[in-house]
Amino acid sequence: MMLSWYWPTPNGKPPLIAVLSVLVPLAVLLLTASTVDMSYNKIFYAIPRMLDFTKNLWVMPDWHYVPQLAKKMLETVEMTLLATALAILLSMPLGVLAAKNASPHPIIFRITRDLLSFIRALPELVWALVFVSALGLGPLPGIMALSLVTVGFMGKFIAESIEVVDAKAIEGLESTGCTKFQSILYAMLPQAVPDFIGSLLYILDHNLRAASILGLVGAGGIGYDMVMSMRLFNYERIGMIALSIYALVTLLDRLSDVFRQKALGGILNVH
Amino acid sequence: MSIKTLPSRPHNLFPLWLSLALALLWLIIWDLDVAFQDLVYGIADMGEYLSRYGAPNLSNMSSYLHLMIQTLVTAFWGTTLAFIMAATIAPYAARQLTPNPFIYRIARELLNFMRAMPDLLLALIFVSSMGLGPLPGVLALAVHTAGFLGKFFAENMERVPAGKYEALSAVGAGFTQKIVFAAWPSMLRESVGNVLYIFDRNVRMAAVLGLVGAGGIGLELHDALRLFKYNQASALIIIILLTIIVIDNLSSWIRKVLN
Amino acid sequence: MAYISLTAVHKTYPNGYCALKNINLDIQAGQFIAVLGPSGAGKSTLLRAMNALDPATQGEITIDGVTLNKKNYRKIRAHVGMVFQQFNLVDRLNVMTNVLVGRLAEHSWLSSLFYLFPKTDYQIAEAALREVDLLDKAWSRADKLSGGQQQRVGIARALAQQPKLILADEPIASLDPKSSEEVLKLLRKICSEKGITVIVNLHQVEYAKQFADRIIALNAGSLVFDGSPEQLTKAKQAEIYGTTYEETSHDAELVLAYT
Repeated sequence: MMLSWYWPTPNGKPPLIAVLSVLVPLAVLLLTASTVDMSYNKIFYAIPRMLDFTKNLWVMPDWHYVPQLAKKMLETVEMTLLATALAILLSMPLGVLAAKNASPHPIIFRITRDLLSFIRALPELVWALVFVSALGLGPLPGIMALSLVTVGFMGKFIAESIEVVDAKAIEGLESTGCTKFQSILYAMLPQAVPDFIGSLLYILDHNLRAASILGLVGAGGIGYDMVMSMRLFNYERIGMIALSIYALVTLLDRLSDVFRQKALGGILNVH
Repeated sequence: MSIKTLPSRPHNLFPLWLSLALALLWLIIWDLDVAFQDLVYGIADMGEYLSRYGAPNLSNMSSYLHLMIQTLVTAFWGTTLAFIMAATIAPYAARQLTPNPFIYRIARELLNFMRAMPDLLLALIFVSSMGLGPLPGVLALAVHTAGFLGKFFAENMERVPAGKYEALSAVGAGFTQKIVFAAWPSMLRESVGNVLYIFDRNVRMAAVLGLVGAGGIGLELHDALRLFKYNQASALIIIILLTIIVIDNLSSWIRKVLN
Repeated sequence: MAYISLTAVHKTYPNGYCALKNINLDIQAGQFIAVLGPSGAGKSTLLRAMNALDPATQGEITIDGVTLNKKNYRKIRAHVGMVFQQFNLVDRLNVMTNVLVGRLAEHSWLSSLFYLFPKTDYQIAEAALREVDLLDKAWSRADKLSGGQQQRVGIARALAQQPKLILADEPIASLDPKSSEEVLKLLRKICSEKGITVIVNLHQVEYAKQFADRIIALNAGSLVFDGSPEQLTKAKQAEIYGTTYEETSHDAELVLAYT
């Protein structure tokens, strides 16, 4: 006998959309499992090696490495700050041009929008690869790659927060006979400030993470040391690097939470 | 109460903060020793350099496409595993649902830790313990983004109006029942948005995971650039760019349909 | 010659809705004019046509001898103050800046870029704030003020334009009775003492009769009454609002009972 359990729908069966949204991803996962080497054996085989690796991490830190570590971490933070500052400078005008209500012309609006989505499409590391091969090793290509992608994101965020500014304040300004440029400066930008700060905190967080891995392709920061000590199985250093990144990212996370709540009264909601 | 004179203007600290920020930036430029003037001189060279990318070499198209598909699959698996982990941990990290404050703290810290570990570092670790291939990439993406998704889900759960949980507590519902009948139905739409955002992010990331040997198209690009094969590099960049733009538009379309 | 004259003004919105039908009107300088009519009668559209926030689709509007057209509307707006139902202040700027905004039309984009104003502008703004009795709030943020105070800032902004005409679009519809009366008294005082023409959209017939020199009424986009407050009898009111005499008086009693 069938169990007499039913779904709370008119016909007692689960809704089609629910069934499909479970079955389709499941089918895709099963069909693609071999593409990503997803197999029981492989995972089972990896577990003891993972444990081994974790055991190896329990070694005395390499104290002689501390000054070098501090220098590289500082470089990572500096790259983050500089790239973010440059990006703000560039993305302000682009963001205004890409906002529907502030843009001087629909064609300019379209072009800026597309330009922004084009430059944020590729990940920082790809740009960093290109810039490193053009300018050589060092933090400069890293900063350029970071700023470029950040301009793409920040410009979009700025445009979006200008677009949701209450039309009332803008109308109030326009009624005094001022120009569009003045109404952008005196109504749209001030009203969009809380949104800007929210996006800025998000971008800072994102850029710090990105800056910590750019070194992988030789574009400055802690990333290079991270890869090298990994390749050389230098466990004394890997643990230290991982811990410092963890500490730094967590610190920024907490700071930005506090800032969001204190300075803006918890009215922000940007992830 | 009315007064007849203008009160004196309060001090505006903005100029002070601005100059401090500028001083800090100047200090950073000095310390990093970046020469922006070189950049200005180099712009002419930059034009010549970029022209080397002018003729994309599409002869290896089928193998590139295969790699791109592997990249997408890596992102998909990573996102799915992250979703499963996040959905499991999130209720413990939501204030209204968590069984006790201690577990809440632990769940939050766990999510924080997963988020703080860069996925490339995780990929390095997984590659060295299970060998080259896309599987370590999948796991790295899964662990890192489970931290993000878990935080988003927990925040969504905390935003659900308290009344919905109370109503279920009032009929004697347990922990799982509250999650299934109060939390998820109320936060489904935002959560789908979060998952799409994470998937977008994972596609971008999967495209570069190859740099540490974790599968996908990234390694090919790295090698092409290292061997100065600009035509192949440009073909690869074009494929990555197109895929990401298509995925972006697809997910913003889904988001629009959902709203 | 009349200070403002409207000749055969029509306004049809893009969706085909006809908000103003053949309005002909002459207004003398220095008068206080109340515009009455049920919701959707075209009161706001009439005011917004006069400073081209919603330009008329047909007909001619002349203010102080200048006919409104696509090229000169900003010049006209510069000397026509407008007061809104929702105040339309820039919440996040302080009161002083909100009033100084009334001076922007006189300045170039370059000085505006740095938020700089000449000393004379500060004197004008200070005088405007003294007029509305808000000098003590000059450096507070606009959104920290009560509704009545915000509306007075709105009036101060209009005064800072040194206007000859102030258009007030339902300035008291979002205010409590006490602030409403204060705001209307203020507008009346500005009209009488400075000789500024004031046109106010109102819902309350009683206020119109108490403050106005002349009352205009619209219904369904047409002019249905134009005369002195004394000429606006109960029967006329019923005609304007499309109700019977008994209903009106009944409503009035109800209103009294609830205020």
